[in-house]
Amino acid sequence: MGYTIAEKIMGRASRAGVPVPAGAEVEVKPDYVLGYDFPGYLDLIFKQMKEEFGIERVAEPERYALFIDHMVPANTPDEEELHIVTRTWCAENSVKLHEREGIGHQVAAEAGYAVPGGFVVHFDGHIAQLGAFGTLAIGIHTQLLEAFVRERIDFTVPETTRVDLTGRLAPGVMARDVFHHLVRVLGPRSCRFQVLELGGPALGDISLEGRQTITGLAMFTGALTAICNPDRLALDYARDHVTGPFEPQVSDADATYAALHEVDLTDLAPIVVVPPNPAATADLADHAGLEVQAGYLGSCASGRLEDLRAAAAVLKGRRVAPGFQLHVVPTSQAIMADAAREGLLTTLIEAGAFVTSSSCDYCYGRIATMTAGQRAVSTGTLNVTGRMGSPDSEIYLCNAAAVAASALEGRIADPRPYLAETGQ
Amino acid sequence: MSLTPLRGRVAYVFEEADFDVDQIVGVENIRLTDPDALAACAMRRFDPGFAEKVAPGDVIVGAENFGYGHPHFAPMIGLRRLGVRAVIADSFATGYWREEIAEGFPQIACPGITGLVQRWDEIEIDWAAAEVRNLSRGGALAIAPYSTAERGMLQAGGLIPYLREKLAAGSG
Repeated sequence: MGYTIAEKIMGRASRAGVPVPAGAEVEVKPDYVLGYDFPGYLDLIFKQMKEEFGIERVAEPERYALFIDHMVPANTPDEEELHIVTRTWCAENSVKLHEREGIGHQVAAEAGYAVPGGFVVHFDGHIAQLGAFGTLAIGIHTQLLEAFVRERIDFTVPETTRVDLTGRLAPGVMARDVFHHLVRVLGPRSCRFQVLELGGPALGDISLEGRQTITGLAMFTGALTAICNPDRLALDYARDHVTGPFEPQVSDADATYAALHEVDLTDLAPIVVVPPNPAATADLADHAGLEVQAGYLGSCASGRLEDLRAAAAVLKGRRVAPGFQLHVVPTSQAIMADAAREGLLTTLIEAGAFVTSSSCDYCYGRIATMTAGQRAVSTGTLNVTGRMGSPDSEIYLCNAAAVAASALEGRIADPRPYLAETGQ
Repeated sequence: MSLTPLRGRVAYVFEEADFDVDQIVGVENIRLTDPDALAACAMRRFDPGFAEKVAPGDVIVGAENFGYGHPHFAPMIGLRRLGVRAVIADSFATGYWREEIAEGFPQIACPGITGLVQRWDEIEIDWAAAEVRNLSRGGALAIAPYSTAERGMLQAGGLIPYLREKLAAGSG
């Protein structure tokens, strides 16, 4: 009997040490336990560890890594106090802290926590993006506390829905569109409590960055997480970033799936996700011309080099519409440095973009906050009511090139004519 | 130890699939943490008189994928303060389910529940038989089983007491 990659990874991390079928209840030991500081998140876990369980120190500090990526930079004394709590705890526990290196889900890959065949937990479900490298990474919400007070956590091995991607993406259509198209085809409940496994010939044509985008948003199909069977590209990345040996896992040909789908990308056109629902997928063409005042290119989902390149290709030699607020926030500092070396930042700045260092804060309206009646195009993770400011503002999610094209026109715009003109 | 018996009225039925629970208190209130303040704003947009009508022991019913989106704790803190003891839905969104079970708040997956009950029907959860019964109109439906950990969290009253029991039992 064959197993899925998720069954193999959970099995390896369980007491049994061998693949376990979906539905089995296991106690699994995460290879890495990750989290970021935010009021009521890590500070609460630290407090609960001590006050509820009398635990002062985690047992194996090398399995933990924490991030300061929200509220960066702090803009109240309380925020800085919270960061101090995290810094102090990490120092006392000898736990690695990544501060101001970028958005943690991306930094996790750069820092080597995306181990092919590895099992990773976080409270935030966007950690699913480590699945691009064949890591099973799951956001377990408040149950992350268990991973701080026990060596193992209880888990029911999830079923898997497998999606094979075929065809070829047209220019101006990006990984972001692929994900939202999957939600459109499969639906927002298709993968509830399951792993979304991606494969098929077209996946190999999608960059690792694109796979991070797709897997990182898996929660909007209802999935616990998403994963790709690691190919050479993923293994080469892992060899460059992971310290120590690892055992990549892949699904068996005769693995059992809850559902199998084939999705052809050939005729896919740019998409917008209409507020206030992350499943309200539409063709961008149906909403083109709608007035927008702000644009956000960044987040853990998008904001990597290929996103910045796409935006720069649209914006090169052009100017953002008068009064339009275009915020560009590379996903990590390493990506920002690469973009600087490539000259992308110069192009973006000269076109009128406001480019800043990496932070999670634009995605949830802590900065660049919208007021009532304003509307944004965004590569952020989410378009629910009030996500980027006033409950009476709106967010249309789309790909990075579409954010750039919309910034030029001050209206939702198709990036393809601009890319065609510049020969991209 | 067993789960607390549940018997009460269906205080509201959310018929919308993929329902975003933040609407229960309104996005402008999702950062509130005080249960009284949340109880005061809960359900206003659905039924302004809800707080007067609901009684301790009542339940809320939802459709498919209840809790989809980016749910916060605030809505259920408000509903619990008003006396709501459980949510029964055709199915639940993954993240919402995990969070509320960890709070020790019974979430009961019961495919077909929106067809079995109407608002203000009296219902009973029979944990031993694993079914929901409509005491007002008759009829019953099976409820989906919990995992051992989920059941443990609900019996203990949430993640923290559950983990304390586990650690006390020597399961590190």
